[in-house]
Amino acid sequence: MGNTNPFSKLLKNAALLLYALFALFPLFWMILISFKHDREMFNTVFLFHPTLENYKVLFSSNEYIGYFLNNVYVSVGAVLVSIVVGVPAAYALARFDFKGKENLAFTFLSFRFAPELLVILPLFLIYQKIGLYDTYFGLIWVYQLISLPFIIWILRGYFEDISPEVEHAGRVDGYSWWRVFLKIIMPLIKPGLVAAALLSFIFVWNNFTFALLLAGQGVITTTVASLKYISSDTVHYGQMAAAVTISALPEVILALLIQKHLVRGLSMGAVKG
Amino acid sequence: MADIALKQVTKKYKQHTALNGVSIDIKDKEFFVIFGPAGAGKTTLLNVIAGIAVPEEGVVTMNGKVVNSIEPEDRNVAMVFENYALYPHMSVFDNIASPLRSPRYRQPESKIKEEVHRVAKILRIDWLLQRLPSELSNGQRQRVSLGRALVRSPEVFLMDEPLTHLDAKLRHQMRAEFKEMQANLNTTTIYVTHDYLEALSLGDRIAVLNEGRIEQIGTPDDIYYRPATEFVAEAFGEPEINLLTAGIVRKGGEWYLNLLGDSDHFTVPRQVKSVIEELQLETVRVGFRPKDIKYSFTDDSASMLRAAVYSFEPLGSKAILTAHAGGQLIRLIAPADLEARPDRPIYLKFNVDEAIFFDERTRRFIARAGEKGGRFVG
Repeated sequence: MGNTNPFSKLLKNAALLLYALFALFPLFWMILISFKHDREMFNTVFLFHPTLENYKVLFSSNEYIGYFLNNVYVSVGAVLVSIVVGVPAAYALARFDFKGKENLAFTFLSFRFAPELLVILPLFLIYQKIGLYDTYFGLIWVYQLISLPFIIWILRGYFEDISPEVEHAGRVDGYSWWRVFLKIIMPLIKPGLVAAALLSFIFVWNNFTFALLLAGQGVITTTVASLKYISSDTVHYGQMAAAVTISALPEVILALLIQKHLVRGLSMGAVKG
Repeated sequence: MADIALKQVTKKYKQHTALNGVSIDIKDKEFFVIFGPAGAGKTTLLNVIAGIAVPEEGVVTMNGKVVNSIEPEDRNVAMVFENYALYPHMSVFDNIASPLRSPRYRQPESKIKEEVHRVAKILRIDWLLQRLPSELSNGQRQRVSLGRALVRSPEVFLMDEPLTHLDAKLRHQMRAEFKEMQANLNTTTIYVTHDYLEALSLGDRIAVLNEGRIEQIGTPDDIYYRPATEFVAEAFGEPEINLLTAGIVRKGGEWYLNLLGDSDHFTVPRQVKSVIEELQLETVRVGFRPKDIKYSFTDDSASMLRAAVYSFEPLGSKAILTAHAGGQLIRLIAPADLEARPDRPIYLKFNVDEAIFFDERTRRFIARAGEKGGRFVG
């Protein structure tokens, strides 16, 4: 590495710029559409009369705010439950030796590669039967399939990186196990925890399938709500784009805020010392 | 300040037995060294005393009280870990201060400052207090980890190879300082090492551990001059002791050792003879320290054994000369400037009066002729 040749540097930057354009264009397009009138939707490309009409319609009733809050409750709830369950689980997988440990860990991971549609039908029936259908808790629960594996697998690497002697030293220094965990272990896994929590938040926030099929009129999330702008006679692209733009905002803001942790957090646990 | 005792302690990790019926009695203010090769169970032994590992069998007592079920934080022990076990996210100051800030051993902040600086000064790391452990060299980390223990006044110091990662010069210096420190601290210290020089120079008493069992507990003199087993004899001393199998040959009133085919010149010493007689042994194992074998390139006297130079390793101030005789390799110490090409004939003279005798079947100590090492035990 360390190539300081100005020409190759230029080339590198050009390539990065090109990729950024490619990756960000859909986002840019979406924001553009959100400022267009429905009548200008198909006959203008970049030049049009920007309007806030779409956003006004969106917030004219409390409906959209309700969907947005639903998504917040469900996603935050899912991530919190995952942290409460996942941190001890990751610790146990890293520290203790028990029968079927690797199988258990793999099972958690396998949640991530099973397609959601595979489990949705039985889950739908079960949820109907036990009254979890269309409830916050029902969605939070099913979202564990998405968020829990992330937290467990990222944090397991972190816990394994902390030598058990550090914990022992804390004990000998006069701290109870619980205090050692809070004072010494938690600060050390914090970057990983932040990164894992954020990632799983994004995945849960964006989830469509579970929210669509396991919730009805009671708990509509923003992802599902964007379908509402498709009616039988017309599609309100402008309002849809505005809705989606707003719903993408929390992720963007969160990612920017903890960018520093994100890169470090994801790479650090993976590399063994 | 504490007496510590282990009674028949057994610790297993799954199928592997790390400690097997270990009993040790450590007196108050003693500097007790635990010596053994890698994997002998030394660290496990410390962990059992610290309360980090709980033994399956046996009891651990402190001042006569059974502490098996007492948590590590309540045992008032200070431990230095082999891999330092510093807290990576805390500065050197906070690392050393950590025990004094714990709920169990809390001190006022002004006192902490004073104590940390005092200890840091002794260990000469007072200029590193603001750094993180990742910004230190291994030797400095080791001293921080020592500092974290020394800042306290515990019942006992447990030290797991605290000098291993230092370079030779610093190690020597720290060894001397340890001796000095121990005299001032007045606290029981249990010190684990695999370096026999450290063990001999520091220990009031030494326990030799092998595969989870105690081979011998004794003073450095006991261990060196009266090793309980061949294992102990081989572990202490560099180059290693020469162990030869010798038959007992009775000629008239005198008994001779049949050493490497020569049964005419090695008289069994009087003190040894009575023990052998008692045990009715026909063969024994005889151990000669390399320094107790003299050599010559000319056949000076009848009692010399003919051998051939096998290898010659100059080590600066001295050299290790390995000779080949009767299918055995014999190590001895020679001056470094010796001209000893391989296969050159060499004549060896064994000093039987300094030899250590072992039972050929049990490989355990029988007797030695010389009186060094205190009392004479059969």
